[in-house]
Amino acid sequence: MTGLWRHELRLFLRQRLALPALALMALLSIASVWAGMAEIERQRDTIARIQPQQAADVAAIAKWVSVEGDAGNAAYYTFHATWDEPSALAFAAIGQRDVAPYILRIRALGLEAQLYESENYNAELALPGRFDWAFVLTYLAPLFVIVLLHDLKSGEREAGRIGLLAAMARNQQALWRRRIGLRIGGLLAALLIPFLIGAALSGASPGLALIFIVVAAAYILFWAMLCLWVGSRGWSSVTNAATLAASWLVLTLILPALGNLAINSVVPVRQGVELTLEQREKVHGGWDKPKQETMQAFFKAYPEWKDTKPVEGGFHWKWYYAFQHLGDLAAAPQAKAYREGLEARDRWTGRFGFALPAVGLQTILHRTARTDLNAGLIYQDRIRSYHKQLRRFYYPYVFNEVPFREADFVKAPQWEHR
Amino acid sequence: MNPIRLIAADEWRLMRRNRVAMLGLVMLLALSVIAALTSIAQRDNSDAIRARFQAQADQAFDGAPARHPHRMVHYGHFVFRPLPALAAFDPGVDAFTGNTIYLEGHRQNSANFGDVRQSSLLVRFGQLTPAFVLQALAPLILIFIGFGIVARERERGTIRQLFAHGVAPRALLFGKALGLGGIAALMLAPGVLALGWLIAFEGAPLAPSLTLLAGYAAYLGIWVLLIVIASSLAAHARTALMALIGIWAFTVILLPRIAPDVALATNPTLTRLETDIAIKEDLRKMGDSHNPDDPYFNAFKQRTLKQYGVEKVEDLPVNYRGLLAVEGEKLTSKLFDDYADRQFAAQKAQSRFTDTVGLLSPAIALRRLSMSAAGTDLEGHRRFLSQAEGYRFAIVQQLNQLQATAITYDDDSNRNKDPEAGRRVRIDPKNWQKVPDFRYQAAATGEKLQAALPGMLTLLGWLVVLGFGMRLAIRRLADAA
Repeated sequence: MTGLWRHELRLFLRQRLALPALALMALLSIASVWAGMAEIERQRDTIARIQPQQAADVAAIAKWVSVEGDAGNAAYYTFHATWDEPSALAFAAIGQRDVAPYILRIRALGLEAQLYESENYNAELALPGRFDWAFVLTYLAPLFVIVLLHDLKSGEREAGRIGLLAAMARNQQALWRRRIGLRIGGLLAALLIPFLIGAALSGASPGLALIFIVVAAAYILFWAMLCLWVGSRGWSSVTNAATLAASWLVLTLILPALGNLAINSVVPVRQGVELTLEQREKVHGGWDKPKQETMQAFFKAYPEWKDTKPVEGGFHWKWYYAFQHLGDLAAAPQAKAYREGLEARDRWTGRFGFALPAVGLQTILHRTARTDLNAGLIYQDRIRSYHKQLRRFYYPYVFNEVPFREADFVKAPQWEHR
Repeated sequence: MNPIRLIAADEWRLMRRNRVAMLGLVMLLALSVIAALTSIAQRDNSDAIRARFQAQADQAFDGAPARHPHRMVHYGHFVFRPLPALAAFDPGVDAFTGNTIYLEGHRQNSANFGDVRQSSLLVRFGQLTPAFVLQALAPLILIFIGFGIVARERERGTIRQLFAHGVAPRALLFGKALGLGGIAALMLAPGVLALGWLIAFEGAPLAPSLTLLAGYAAYLGIWVLLIVIASSLAAHARTALMALIGIWAFTVILLPRIAPDVALATNPTLTRLETDIAIKEDLRKMGDSHNPDDPYFNAFKQRTLKQYGVEKVEDLPVNYRGLLAVEGEKLTSKLFDDYADRQFAAQKAQSRFTDTVGLLSPAIALRRLSMSAAGTDLEGHRRFLSQAEGYRFAIVQQLNQLQATAITYDDDSNRNKDPEAGRRVRIDPKNWQKVPDFRYQAAATGEKLQAALPGMLTLLGWLVVLGFGMRLAIRRLADAA
């Protein structure tokens, strides 16, 4: 038995395209894992690098604010850092992490004006997409499957050996299974071993890495089946190759692009701009409205501050933070609609994934690696709840008019590092 | 009829009968038409929405009630980047950059609500636009149609008959190239119609449109020559097919993705957060307006008092708080410009690196040409950012000047204690209407063409090299004959 396998392996490796194809696949897989790990390392470094800078910034603000001890100033001038740690598997599927910010500073003012800030990235570099393992698997690996399998039978037929093989082999089915197994096994090894090394080095959980492996194998298997089905039609090698490459074009480029077009027209989202415009009107309208009206509206949301000293004179921080929060409340319906629009787009993409293997694969990989649109929304949720903590931290100082001293700065809630 | 045309005509006759080739061609043409129609509709729609939002923001600003001018500085303004007509052909980085910025005093906000962050990962598969169809898909369809164009004749032995009939190898190859070039021209047709529409009805500028057309024609020409040469040099049609798909995957899919990774690693840029902290730090070093004994602002005060020949700020004919606001904004704005310049320079270096890689990939070179001519490259976004910053500075300073001249120092200082003063500092809202509206100035045609030039030269260089390739292939054929 092993003799037969070894014999097939020798035959396979003697083919002109076999070894170079496998070597190239392994090289691309290694390069993509390396590039992905370097990028994620860069992101981790950035997150680590900002910590001392952030601490120094807060210390400098604490120095002058604590002289007067005005809590309103402390809340106004102190920015608090938040960040979205990459998951262990993010290196293999960078997803939206190159265009969505993974670090953001916020303060206790209206959040809706701060939440949608973008990062300074070079859009021309983001345009073609990142070179990561998910890309190699989704786009390039099928081409290698096609190279290795398109002439499995037709090649033998064209070389005039097919009859001979049929006559010689004791078990024809087993012969083809061996040949297919060798090719697909080799390809999977070339793809997966670099990934596994990367996953181990990144400390990924074996369960999640297994998801990657299973979907990768299923995806490769899909392409192998397609190759075998086309190969069984009895066409020439060259027709097989052209048909398969055309299928690749349709399945990985054309249909996903058409799908994107369809989703964007079915689910338009422009509430983002609307909600920021709305929030600004509400916040700044606060300056022109009677103070008592603003305070009563705020006390509906936060009755615990109802009985503190009433606002007098032209300006008080209580009143200022009250209308900041009311701006967020006014924009909440649009913020919700905006978010629902994004979630609907994500949901539709998931549905396309059932029909299009490439889309399904990317959806699962990026969901598992927590680098998709949804991961960005979860980060926004975490920022929302942190913002709430911050406000709740500052409110007692502001509403009870407690002086805010240098020691109070360190008491501020810190972002939870995951 | 000359032999080259004869060969080409013969090729077209064959292709008409080739079901696979016709299917590929029809599919590409259909996609081109869909891409052109949806892309034009989308551009018009996006631009209209942005114009509407801009009008809404302008109206909100002009219609603001009587306020203290510094309230208006914080109320701020929104500006939207209009989408050029040629973005319907190549939207470039538009989806990857935010298209609106909130402008306010003391702060520089980012451009937000770019489409990419509002879309699922599907958008990263590529957007179906005329540019994408011609850059990525058309070459592959050309490969499917043409990989056997010479190799097939050799495999069937018909090439010997042709030579026997006195067809020169030169005429054969050029005839085949002409035949395939005709198909490429057909592929370009929907794009040409789309450009014609954009010029005639949407005000697309003529010279950049023609540059686009020339660039795409050169690009498809490169692929036609590559295919004919590969098909002629390869021993078998299948080898030619494999080699060509390999070249396509390498230059159209792989290199454009690898180059940015290297560019980012070699030219890192500061994140917004770090820039923000660095600017605040620099500002504290230059002068701390919160510190009553700050040397910088004390010197400014002495200078101002001396200029007006008075002893105390209360005696100034203008509101000193307004002057302070003008001075403070000057400092921050200078730092914003410095850091933005550094950021742009680093990004330019990154883009230059990918342009260099573009020497190896006609697709990268074409993308540079296409985005530059369409005005949808990073440079277009940079123009928007710096014009928005210029506008921000101008309106903030106009409002600060109002604070200095339209409000007395006394009222300004007592506005929170004395309700009468508080009323007086809220100045006439007609002042807001005097603030000019934002008008984005797109790059001039000359600048666009200049930016497109390196891409064009790279494509021409490829054509020259492939011209030599044709000579080599012709010599090989002649040797064989």
